[in-house]
Amino acid sequence: MTPTQSGHDNLPLYFDTNGGSMLAVEEKGWLMTDKRIDLPQGTLDLLILKTLALEPQHGWAISERIGQVSKDVLSIKQGSLYPALHRLERRGWIKAKWAMTKNSRHAKYYELTKAGRKQLEAEESAWRKLAAAVGNVLETA
Amino acid sequence: MFSNLLYRLRALIRRNSMEAELDEELRAHVEQQAEKYVQAGMSPEAAARRARLEFGGIEQVKEECRDSWGVRFISELGQDLRYGLRQLRRNPGFTVVAVLTLALGIGANTAIYSFIDVLILRMLPVRHPQALVLFGPGDQSGNSDNFPDSEMHLFSYPIYREIQQKNRVFSGVAAFGSSEAGLHGTVGASRELEAMKVELVSGTYFDVLGVNPFLGRVLTGADDQTLGGHPVAVISYGWWKSRFSRDPAILGKILTIGRTVYTIIGVTPSGFFGTTVGRSPDLWIPLQMHDLIDTGPHKIGDKFYRSLDIIARMKPGVTRSQAAANVNLVLKNILHEYAGSEPSREQLQDIRKAHITLYSAATGNSLLREGFSKPLWMLMAIVGLVLLIACANIANLLLARATARQREIAVRMAMGAGRMRLIRQLLTESALLAGAGGILGILFAEWACRFLLAVVSRTQHVLTLDVSLDTRLLAFTALVSLGCAILFGILPALRLTRVELTPALKEGRGAMLAHDRSTLGRALIISQVAVSLVLLVGAGLFVRSLVTLANVNAGFNKQGVLLFRVDPSATGYTDELRLANMYRQIEQRVDALPGVRASSFSIFAFHQGSWDGSAWAKDYAAAPGSQHDASFNAVGSGYFAAMGLPILAGRDFGPQDTAASPRVAVINETMARRFFPGGSPIGKRFGMTGPEHSNDIEVVGVVRDAKYYALDEAPEAFAYYPYSQYTPHWGIGLYLREFEVRYSGNPQVVVPAVRRAMGEVNSNLPIGNVQTLADQVDASITIQRLVAELSAFFGLLAVFLACIGIYGLASYAVSRRANEIGIRMALGARRCDVLRLVVRQGFKLTLMGAAIGIAGALVLTRFLASLLYGVKPTDPLTFVAVSLILIAVALVACYIPARRAAKVDPMVALRYE
Repeated sequence: MTPTQSGHDNLPLYFDTNGGSMLAVEEKGWLMTDKRIDLPQGTLDLLILKTLALEPQHGWAISERIGQVSKDVLSIKQGSLYPALHRLERRGWIKAKWAMTKNSRHAKYYELTKAGRKQLEAEESAWRKLAAAVGNVLETA
Repeated sequence: MFSNLLYRLRALIRRNSMEAELDEELRAHVEQQAEKYVQAGMSPEAAARRARLEFGGIEQVKEECRDSWGVRFISELGQDLRYGLRQLRRNPGFTVVAVLTLALGIGANTAIYSFIDVLILRMLPVRHPQALVLFGPGDQSGNSDNFPDSEMHLFSYPIYREIQQKNRVFSGVAAFGSSEAGLHGTVGASRELEAMKVELVSGTYFDVLGVNPFLGRVLTGADDQTLGGHPVAVISYGWWKSRFSRDPAILGKILTIGRTVYTIIGVTPSGFFGTTVGRSPDLWIPLQMHDLIDTGPHKIGDKFYRSLDIIARMKPGVTRSQAAANVNLVLKNILHEYAGSEPSREQLQDIRKAHITLYSAATGNSLLREGFSKPLWMLMAIVGLVLLIACANIANLLLARATARQREIAVRMAMGAGRMRLIRQLLTESALLAGAGGILGILFAEWACRFLLAVVSRTQHVLTLDVSLDTRLLAFTALVSLGCAILFGILPALRLTRVELTPALKEGRGAMLAHDRSTLGRALIISQVAVSLVLLVGAGLFVRSLVTLANVNAGFNKQGVLLFRVDPSATGYTDELRLANMYRQIEQRVDALPGVRASSFSIFAFHQGSWDGSAWAKDYAAAPGSQHDASFNAVGSGYFAAMGLPILAGRDFGPQDTAASPRVAVINETMARRFFPGGSPIGKRFGMTGPEHSNDIEVVGVVRDAKYYALDEAPEAFAYYPYSQYTPHWGIGLYLREFEVRYSGNPQVVVPAVRRAMGEVNSNLPIGNVQTLADQVDASITIQRLVAELSAFFGLLAVFLACIGIYGLASYAVSRRANEIGIRMALGARRCDVLRLVVRQGFKLTLMGAAIGIAGALVLTRFLASLLYGVKPTDPLTFVAVSLILIAVALVACYIPARRAAKVDPMVALRYE
């Protein structure tokens, strides 16, 4: 899931699309260019989990995919991806194994666990609720 | 949750492979990114560069990943520990001194605390002890038989029964004998008499305490029905273990005490020692058997024969004051009933004054608490202060080392180490020291506890205390160690990390810093000196007090007297005539032995107990403000000769004093002076218990004053009666349990001869402990001696530690000022000038510390007043002597480094640095 797909009007937050990168989520996570925006805690985790819900993937591919799907509105500062991945792994939401890529490169693949799937559902619905509620307020007020 | 733990564990244990994986993962990312750019047409170099830039600082990302592993704290702790160990190993001298002083300090604290814990703090090992209350302070043992007329300490069985039935506030009430009966009996079919410690208890006892049997059953209400009808016994786990080697078939075995055969019905759980701390009965027998155990004239059914303590469990929701109100109401009703339909005015007055105070019994009843708690708390304070001094010392040593490490710290901070991180690392070192000190301290405490218990048990109390280490003590030690680490670690750590980088990096030491350090160091030294002076003053007072006490004139001649403890109750004799006969026969036989000069039975010997009552003489009774307290003893005709008490007037007891002849007494000087002032008391008469008896007894002799129970007691009126005229109706029991023998020559010959002679007269008379009167006198001041010795030891230790501190500071000053000293000497300063320069600094600190210490001691020693004998808490001699000693020792501590400084070759000193 990426917020942009639900349309700019419904976006809970303003994303700067000019900079090509945006940051400041959790723990010094994202990079930011001009304007400081505070993404809710755990947003990066949500994006990672969602990306992995489709298929197991390695770090670089995850960052590429998030960039592509969000039409480069969300491009993750690459370095910040890994601490998040390791944290998710520690929590048992994803697990890792080494495998070969299509280009026969040795890479560490991450895959959603059962607990991770549940977590994704929970986070996704929470996010949707938040987005809808904030959207309603903005429309009616 | 579990996988989370596993992950962290892997991060800890397989750290290297985790690191390698991380490395590879990140490199793969950068390479793939670069590949993407190459495919987009960039040159490989430019692509790699751009990919790296986009990725950000690899090391930073790695650090963040490591944080994600959730083990950063632990792995850093591991690093700190390794680093700390290396540091400590590099300075073995410092480490050894620090760890040893800490071990001594922590160990001493643990040992003293373990006694406080077991005697004062620890809860009884029974169900919910907080709800238990004790009737009266539980500080008296023995019995009393007058009408209650003040706060009640002891209770009769009938009063107990009435309270038990009529109260509305307790879920259970139990009574137990206030004194443990040291009896002799036989086990099974054996005919050999063995010592047995018996506690008589009500049937409700175990139920009130909530103690379940380990084996068999405990006593119940059904064992408390008919007088003399319940010959059963519950034995303690300890006795089951030591006497019966944990015999699983113990139930149903028999014991014979006196003429009664008891069946063992149960064993109590291990750890249960009854309700009185320091006592540990071997067996519990129903109170209904009292009259068969104690065959004296007092029967358990007597309303006024008060010999029991009462313990009760409050109903849930009842407060102690509610319970007390109800119990006192019940008590007044009982006493009114006892006084009859027409109570006298005195009785009504007595009933008004009689009352019961309820005390918490959560920590049990302790006869020892009163005597021991004050010295123990004081020793606790002493060892606590010593530990503080030790901490100050280590802090000072750490500060001195800090100066040497200035550069290292500065380098680390310049490279980006955070201040908190460095403080944590320095504190880890302190914690290591404290931890090592704590572990050694526990070993030391174990040893010290056993030593102290052995020493304390030399008194008349044979203490059965469990002072072994348990989790509570270990927790205490851990807490103390941690406290120490923080105490001595935090200041140096804070100071050390407050660095001005540039000067520190340049020369390894900043001028400001050195100044700072020595201000703090000086403050530490001053407080060390002050505290150790306080300790030394305390020790000086205790030592002087002990010396005064040991040289007190006891009145009797303690040399050359043997004390035998006997148990005439085991003979089965129950009338005083037969007993008196046996005593006399034994005395005659023993007197005839070679090497024996005189011998006598008596109810009490020095420090073994006392028979307190009142004396009434015709003329004295009329005097206003008259003081009737007096103590008594029943003795044989050889007693005064055996004790070396000279008869000052009149005569000794003799064969003419028989049960049939008029009653006579020998009184001491104080009694003669108080009750018969002016003229000789010989031929005058007095009596016990009340004015109506003042014609009962004729004074036939006056004997020198003596000490009867303790060396520090004030002179008291005392009367001796011949045991031939003694009747136990006077209230102190039937038996004479002490036998004194004045001898000359070798006690190793005399003791067996006396034993044989006694056995020849009556083979059923068990002979217990034999000791010399001198030892007994010595043992009576064990606590005072212990306090004096321990406080002296710790006082000297404190001074020693303070001197190490002074020495360290002076050495440091000398090394720092070597240059200056060299210049001074080059300019013509003489060696004594240099000496004075260095010594003066230490001397100034010592004087300041001593002044503060004297002021502190003047304030603090007054709390010691009740522990001192014959010395004022502000004894000037002690204060002056102690201060002089301290100053002299401190001077020596300064002098050694000063002399080293004075020997410095000016040329060497000038080239230094």
